Amino acid sequence: MALLEVEDLRVAFGGSTAVDGVDFQVDEGQVVGLVGESGCGKSVTSLAIMGLLPRQSKVTARKRHRGGVTVSGRARFEGKDLLTLPRNEMRKRRGQELAMVFQDPLSSLNPVVRIGVQITEVLERHRGLRGEAARKEAAHLLDRVGIPDPTRRLTEYPHQLSGGMRQRVLIAIAVACAPRLLIADEPTTALDVTIQAQILELLKDLVDSEGTALLMITHDLGVVAGLCDEVNVLYSGRVVESAPARDLFARPTHPYTVGLLKSIPRLDLPIHEPLHPIRGSIVDVIRWKDGCAFAPRCDSVTEKCVEGEPALVGTEHAHRCVMAEEIA
Amino acid sequence: MLRYTVKRLLQLVVALLGLSLLLFAWFKSLPGGPENRMLPDNATDQQREALREALGLDEPVWTQYGEFLGRAVRLDFGNSLSSGRPISTELADRLPATIELSLWAIAIAIGVGIPLGYLAARKRGTWLDFTAVSGSLIGICTPVFFLAAMLKVVFSQNLGWLPTAFRLTPGTDYTDVTGLRVLDGLITGEFDVAWNAAMHLILPAIALASIPLAVITRITRASVLEVLGEDYVRTADAKGLKAQTIRGRHVMKNAMLPVVTVIGLLLGSLFAGAVLTESVFSFGGVGSFVYAATTERDYPALMGFILVIAVSYVALNLIVDLSYGFLDPRVRVRS
Repeated sequence: MALLEVEDLRVAFGGSTAVDGVDFQVDEGQVVGLVGESGCGKSVTSLAIMGLLPRQSKVTARKRHRGGVTVSGRARFEGKDLLTLPRNEMRKRRGQELAMVFQDPLSSLNPVVRIGVQITEVLERHRGLRGEAARKEAAHLLDRVGIPDPTRRLTEYPHQLSGGMRQRVLIAIAVACAPRLLIADEPTTALDVTIQAQILELLKDLVDSEGTALLMITHDLGVVAGLCDEVNVLYSGRVVESAPARDLFARPTHPYTVGLLKSIPRLDLPIHEPLHPIRGSIVDVIRWKDGCAFAPRCDSVTEKCVEGEPALVGTEHAHRCVMAEEIA
Repeated sequence: MLRYTVKRLLQLVVALLGLSLLLFAWFKSLPGGPENRMLPDNATDQQREALREALGLDEPVWTQYGEFLGRAVRLDFGNSLSSGRPISTELADRLPATIELSLWAIAIAIGVGIPLGYLAARKRGTWLDFTAVSGSLIGICTPVFFLAAMLKVVFSQNLGWLPTAFRLTPGTDYTDVTGLRVLDGLITGEFDVAWNAAMHLILPAIALASIPLAVITRITRASVLEVLGEDYVRTADAKGLKAQTIRGRHVMKNAMLPVVTVIGLLLGSLFAGAVLTESVFSFGGVGSFVYAATTERDYPALMGFILVIAVSYVALNLIVDLSYGFLDPRVRVRS
């Protein structure tokens, strides 16, 4: 059974849609990637699952008018829909059963609270550990994420740590209660390349040893290749291609995925070979109703592409492109 | 932390030296020297010259400044030109009243302003937010003397709920310990005195609190709104912490930083407001003394007052700075 099942998830801020019917699932212990460029809705998807969007509320015309956030669809976690859970129920699950690692490790840690407290507060809340027991466990967690001299670090503040260390602390906080699902939202984007690899390695070790499922949100296909079992490519608030990682890299089907792969600079090509960016940029207003939202930027666009909504085709390796057969 | 404190103390000494110099230069440049105030209008030039010599006003300016500084350090500001009594005695008699009034006012401003500002931020866009914001705007715009007079007219003269003036009902017996009447009453067990004094404090304290209250409310609201949008608050939320933990540890602790700074600055304007409030309620603090000194050109009294106020202002700001270092670990390290 799937651990997390996201079905037709839609999120709108005021009148503008950010996520437009996303479906995907994460099985127990699986590493699933959510890939796409800035603005495709991948972070919003993760925040909606965690219930962290500001003032999540039911759809009402007035709220929509005032710029409130509206969320619809289902996000079933162990069978229970997280989107309709009462606030208190959600609070109990957050940090315990599902946890999250954020993008910017400096701004994601409270600057005026000691590292130790920021870790022990989770242990207190969800595992009932207090005082010395909590401190010991916190030191153990820091040790586990590879921070040297953990006892001293507990008494320090975030600004006294390097960027990589801070991200390790955030990871320690996230795995403190051995969650079933860990969501990592671009956990390496703010870090140096050398540190990035270490952090990814650490995440991989942790989910492997605990059997934690990982939802990896990234724009970096390199990260996906090294880490993920399943990949979902997002464009303009919808999944455009979904496949096992190996399969996706071997046979990219959707022109957007193809474009993403082509746009990665390669060292084995001649120096003067130009880079291949995807032309244009993602548009704010999502238009899937009048045809493929990627059509304006697509090189293989035909008239068929703008005749109605393209459906997600296939099961194992699914794609949302009416021209897929012809292109392949 | 020790190094930070020492450094701040040294800065304080420099600030006070600068202030004394400024003050001295200012008084030197005022027209109509003290000899004109002390002598009758028909005095001769010889008499004026003799008095100038007696007062040391014929000495070089630097000698005068040195003399002034030396005496100021010993809290000797000379005698009041109006009453003839030593200025330090005059101030010492009146300061407790002003301190008590200011403490009440700032307690009201903090005690009401911070929760109100927090609520306004949390309930942003609701009637409560609107009321708090527009109310604080009115608070900032209303002159203290006007508010004081209105409070007096409505609550003491018309409704008769509270006394109109003074610190205690005239004729009340009390034991002086600290000079703060409510505290004294509580210390000595004279609870009727404490109650009596508290009743006399309510209106002037509210009048004096109005501006700081308005400023604190607005700063708290703005600051809380900013912190609520910070990533670390989202992290705290992602940890599934209880709402009260998030509020106390992750929102308020950060949101208080600018508020504390502003409170330090407000304390200065509090003394200025006290001058006006005290004269409306005949409160008998330094305020009314300074008011009299200003109208009567009592220069030594004014100088003494300004120095005392300046020292307490600088000292209070030192406390604020130190607490800032305590609240924000990054300040400690940068120093």
